[in-house]
Amino acid sequence: MTQPIAWLDGPLWPYLALILFAVLPTEIWRWLAVVFARGLDADSALLDWVRAVATALLAGIVAKLIVSPPGVLAQAPILVRIGALAAAVAVMALSRRRMMLAVLMAEAVLIGGVWLFGSA
Amino acid sequence: MSVSADWGWQRVALAGVRDALSLPAWIVGFGLVGIGSLAHDVGYPVGSAVLSTILVWAGPSQVLFFASIAAGAAWSAIAIAVAFASLRFLPMTVAILPLLRRPGQSVWLQLLLAHYVAVTAWTEGLRRLPSIPVHQRVVYFLGFANTCMALSSIGTFSGYYLLGQLPLPFAAGLLCLTPIFFLVSLTAGLRHRGDVTALVLGLVLAPICQRFIGGGFDLIVAGLIAGTVAVFVGQRRKPA
Repeated sequence: MTQPIAWLDGPLWPYLALILFAVLPTEIWRWLAVVFARGLDADSALLDWVRAVATALLAGIVAKLIVSPPGVLAQAPILVRIGALAAAVAVMALSRRRMMLAVLMAEAVLIGGVWLFGSA
Repeated sequence: MSVSADWGWQRVALAGVRDALSLPAWIVGFGLVGIGSLAHDVGYPVGSAVLSTILVWAGPSQVLFFASIAAGAAWSAIAIAVAFASLRFLPMTVAILPLLRRPGQSVWLQLLLAHYVAVTAWTEGLRRLPSIPVHQRVVYFLGFANTCMALSSIGTFSGYYLLGQLPLPFAAGLLCLTPIFFLVSLTAGLRHRGDVTALVLGLVLAPICQRFIGGGFDLIVAGLIAGTVAVFVGQRRKPA
């Protein structure tokens, strides 16, 4: 467990830590984007690239959350975690992109998988 | 749901609320239940968990923040890890703001709009906003995003008290909702071969880069490579 910074410690520390070490490092990119987006045309070639990088980054986050998962998700076997994602993609491909069905199917695979195969 | 150009703002906002309630808001809401439990695990107050949902508004950043505290990481390392994981908001926000922009819009309004940018509002916004009349987009977007945020706050609050009581399969299921929903949203927004390339390469390269680069830089390296390759793949199909 990370201990509070001594001279800033107090009952409000969790909130201070949240602002300093989570809110600011996240929000700064959204603020910078407001500056960068000025004057950019909605269908410029640069935006195509920006969109592709954003898509890849999001996909990367998905892969990281599956490969090194947080909390009790780590107790689900890796094959079950990957199987859940595969189920989601399969349903999207076969059902003309019905998102609700895809999410439910993936969750069914994950919950069923953990239930059947227990913790890894 | 389609929005007609002559609707008043209340009706447009309500359309945003309804579209959010049709599925996306519930998913983010349930997806952020796990944040409550992670905050509970490190002994932080419920207020900080709910506030992280409202102010950070980025599942992976929140996971990283609370999970790193649990792991005993240095504060500087936590801030840097969160910053790298959130870098995606720069390209994401740059991509969506032109859809929401109107002449004479204040910087403050743009900063506010930018705050709501996260996977749901981004993927759904890119998909739905182009068919909505330009002057109604901001109201629609705020109705949509605030609904997502409200349900998520309730989800985080509930998770703080409930998740520890759940049997393992269901607790794991809730924590896995974030990556599942990210992937489903991305898949729903695919338009051409370039998008597919970005998605697949991102999925494959991120764990590889994590293994060989690490230090927080891995994700951005994976994203830049995958995104750049995707643009070239996408362009080959376009008429010159």
